[in-house]
Amino acid sequence: MAHAAFTSADSDLVPVFQARALDKIYGEGEAMVRALAGVDLECRAGELVVVLGASGSGKSTLLNLLGGLDTPTSGSLFYRGWDLGGADEAGLTRYRREAVGFVFQFYNLIPSLTARENVALITEIAADPMTPEEALHMVGLGARMDHFPAQLSGGEQQRVAIARAIAKRPAVLMCDEPTGALDVSTGKAVLEAIERINRELGTLTLIITHNSVMAEMADRVLTLSDGHITGEKHNRTRAAASTLAW
Amino acid sequence: MSLLDLKLIRDLRALKSQAAAVAIVMACGLAMMIMTRSLIVSLETTRDAYYRDNHFAQIFSRLKRAPNSVAAQLAAIPGVATVQTGIALSVTLDLPGVIEPATGLIQSLPEQGELTLNRLHLRAGRILVGRESTGEILVGEAFAQANQLKPGDEMAAVLYGRRQQFRIAGIVLSPEFIFEAPPGASLPNNKTYGVFWMPYKELARASNLDGAFNQLSLRLVPGASEPAVIEAVDHILRPYGGRGAYGRTSHPSHTRLRDEINILNGLSIGFPLVFLSVAAFMTNAVMSRQITLQREQIAILKAFGFSNGEIGRHYLKFSIVIVASGTALGVLGGVFLGERLVDLYHVFFRFPALKFQLASTVVVLAVFVSSIAAIIGVAGSVRAAVRLPPAEAMRPEPPSSYRPALVERLGFGRLFTVTFRMALRNIERRPVRASLTVGALALATGILIVPNAFRDGIGHVLDYQWDLIQRQTVMVSLIEPSPVRTLADFKALPGVILAEPVCGAAVELRAGNQFRRLSITGLPAQAELYRVMDSNGRQITLPPEGIVLSKKLAEVLGVKIGEMLFVRGLEGKRVEFSVPVAGLSEDFAGTAAYMEIGALSRHLGEGDRINAAYLTVGAGQWNEFLRAMKASPRAGSVVVKNKIRQGFRETTAQSIGLLQKIYLTFAAVVAFGIVYNSARISLSERQRELATLRVIGFTRGEVATVLVGELVMLTLIALPCGLLIGSGFARVILMTVNTEFVRLPLILTAQNYAFAVLVVSVASMVSALLACRRLDQLDLVGVLKARD
Repeated sequence: MAHAAFTSADSDLVPVFQARALDKIYGEGEAMVRALAGVDLECRAGELVVVLGASGSGKSTLLNLLGGLDTPTSGSLFYRGWDLGGADEAGLTRYRREAVGFVFQFYNLIPSLTARENVALITEIAADPMTPEEALHMVGLGARMDHFPAQLSGGEQQRVAIARAIAKRPAVLMCDEPTGALDVSTGKAVLEAIERINRELGTLTLIITHNSVMAEMADRVLTLSDGHITGEKHNRTRAAASTLAW
Repeated sequence: MSLLDLKLIRDLRALKSQAAAVAIVMACGLAMMIMTRSLIVSLETTRDAYYRDNHFAQIFSRLKRAPNSVAAQLAAIPGVATVQTGIALSVTLDLPGVIEPATGLIQSLPEQGELTLNRLHLRAGRILVGRESTGEILVGEAFAQANQLKPGDEMAAVLYGRRQQFRIAGIVLSPEFIFEAPPGASLPNNKTYGVFWMPYKELARASNLDGAFNQLSLRLVPGASEPAVIEAVDHILRPYGGRGAYGRTSHPSHTRLRDEINILNGLSIGFPLVFLSVAAFMTNAVMSRQITLQREQIAILKAFGFSNGEIGRHYLKFSIVIVASGTALGVLGGVFLGERLVDLYHVFFRFPALKFQLASTVVVLAVFVSSIAAIIGVAGSVRAAVRLPPAEAMRPEPPSSYRPALVERLGFGRLFTVTFRMALRNIERRPVRASLTVGALALATGILIVPNAFRDGIGHVLDYQWDLIQRQTVMVSLIEPSPVRTLADFKALPGVILAEPVCGAAVELRAGNQFRRLSITGLPAQAELYRVMDSNGRQITLPPEGIVLSKKLAEVLGVKIGEMLFVRGLEGKRVEFSVPVAGLSEDFAGTAAYMEIGALSRHLGEGDRINAAYLTVGAGQWNEFLRAMKASPRAGSVVVKNKIRQGFRETTAQSIGLLQKIYLTFAAVVAFGIVYNSARISLSERQRELATLRVIGFTRGEVATVLVGELVMLTLIALPCGLLIGSGFARVILMTVNTEFVRLPLILTAQNYAFAVLVVSVASMVSALLACRRLDQLDLVGVLKARD
């Protein structure tokens, strides 16, 4: 049975994420690395949050914990009141399946499936998905649905990955360096797609990047360094993705 | 140690379970090859030494009776080196504590000195030399062991209608009875049939053959013509009721051993070939994956100046390590299994010492064959690796391109789930690998069919022989031909419900140039207890004129129904006549000819007579019947059907049981190895894909389904192919046992198929599950962040 939190309607009263004193430690003894050190964080539905930081700052670790790919060493982490930090393997899988959409730097599409089928992979297992066609139209790929990944450009592949992530209507969209492997103009098209999803579906969107230009399209910008949140900035107005340049 | 070798050791450590899987499959093939080839060598060298040391004769004959002086005539035949005459007599035995009678053959020992031909080998007690009458007897080892007899024990035998008590002087072996069984038997039945020796005088007196002989053995001078001597012997013995001389190639014990060696020969080539091809394929799969994974390393090595030869040798060493461990394991396994089989062979074939001899040439051959298999397996991928220019090798492999599978192109794509379509496209993208996997799994399924087909074939023959054809409780053979009215005496014995006459006549059947010597069995036209059956399982009514032949005999003689056959009697009045072939009977052990008993007697011109009877006996009076039977003066030997049947069952269970276990284990190993390796390779190639599925919310089980779905599909294709291949294997192997002496029908049962399917499915499932356990170790984040 799915936890009520995974499927309940948006509630502005309960934050989507609520983290207190979040710690993540890898290894032991001399090899011990404290990737996250006492992070406090709250994220609300509909927000677009950009997390900035250099390599090794802990931003990927934060995304792994929020995305249910890993569990914290200590501290508390709640997703809509559900104890995400204390979840077991099966709970995490269910959480990823029902609440989270992922977009990675290297697309990670299944090469043996067409664009439509890559999206259908999700719609077959999700509770209330949109159709693969709808999702692909949202990212502007309505015309290339029956192409295999090897027949698509990098930007197109990344947009298929976004369509795959949002087709289940997730509460959270996690993007890890979504434009890292793309040139500027393709990267912009990808960001436009993410922005559109956030706006039209009200999905809490977290973008992790070391590209500070992207900060301008966010509601809120967090800066991570050495496992700590060292800065938090609210943008009064969000810049449109199409106006960004790097 | 060079750094490349250090890399080799570390790489091997990382690949250990896959390398082990390949080595074990290879070891199975080598073990089988070493086991069978060494057994052949062991049997052949032991047999040849035994024949030589114990002066096994080259020509044999039985006759009715000839005075001892005829021996001189036989010795004078050009080409004859040694002549040995003697007496052989069929007897019924009475063992203490055993109710059912056993039968046997007693042969005479010379009046002076030891046997010159077919010398005995003493196992226990002492040999009887130059004695007249001692009341002592020598017993063949197989019978002695089966009945727990030892020197000093007493036993009784009915000789020519007279019961006599004997003390066992010694337990012996004879080169004439390496296979200690009645002539024509395919399996021994040592509890109820034995061979014995006693001094000539005593046996001659008991059989009214004083001063005469009824069997002879000859040895030839080197270069003598066997057919010419046989012809001369037959000519000399004709007046004395000679039944036709024959050479070793028709000697029952010798041919049975030869047939066994032939079967081993077939097994020593076919099955190892199957295993080694599978091992070659597995080596190839493992190595090409390894080389793909190490593309960049190869490029860097080449960039640093390592030559193609050095890199090629480095990867060849991989397969050398696999071959070396496979060979070592194979030799150990072959020796272990070979020694077990030698023990088993001891049940069938009695030699003074049958020791397992590891044939060193076989080991050399095994190393050579498996090296070839591994080199074939690895050559392609090594060549591809060294050919790659360094700059190109340092770039990642281009993304794999796919296209819709055939069923989708035909428009059925919508019927399948997305994950099912993934599996279909993956299979279609690598058709060669998929077909090799299917082929290997099919072979594993196929080899399971063979031992069970053997078992079922033998079971069918036994049921056919003992339920359909012979329905008597006992067969009684008379010490000499008697009038038909003798049957009434048997009918009067306690418990006898039905008695039917049998008349046998030794004849030569001739059609054109082909001839065979055997005994025509005369039976009532519609006998109840011995029914002559056709190939459709219907009883053949023996016609008032005409002869019914075993299908195999008709084939050997080259005659068809309606054609005439020339018959020449070898005993009594030695009549000659022609009869039409009236029907063909289906039987599996030996060959037979049948005539209606009245018609046979008419042709023989000796009046109505019988020399055996089939009886059914009520269970309630069984013991009384047996007591009366043992005391009956006319009964030469009494054969209890169920006793023989049970003996056969035990012997077959023993021999087929061990082979079945070996095949079962090997097939399971192959199935396991193939599926495990395929799953591991698939896991390695698709870890990014599988990690993605895990990340986007597929459960571990769902991802495992994607991983093994393809293998399940391949297994499903392989199973029916395997059943077909197995049926073919069984057919080919059974054809090698389609001789005049033994034939096995091809019986393929649903149980046999189900068993093979079950074993391969379970082995595949277990290995797939083991491989799936690796899914848990998948570093989700790490894999996804890495570049392809």
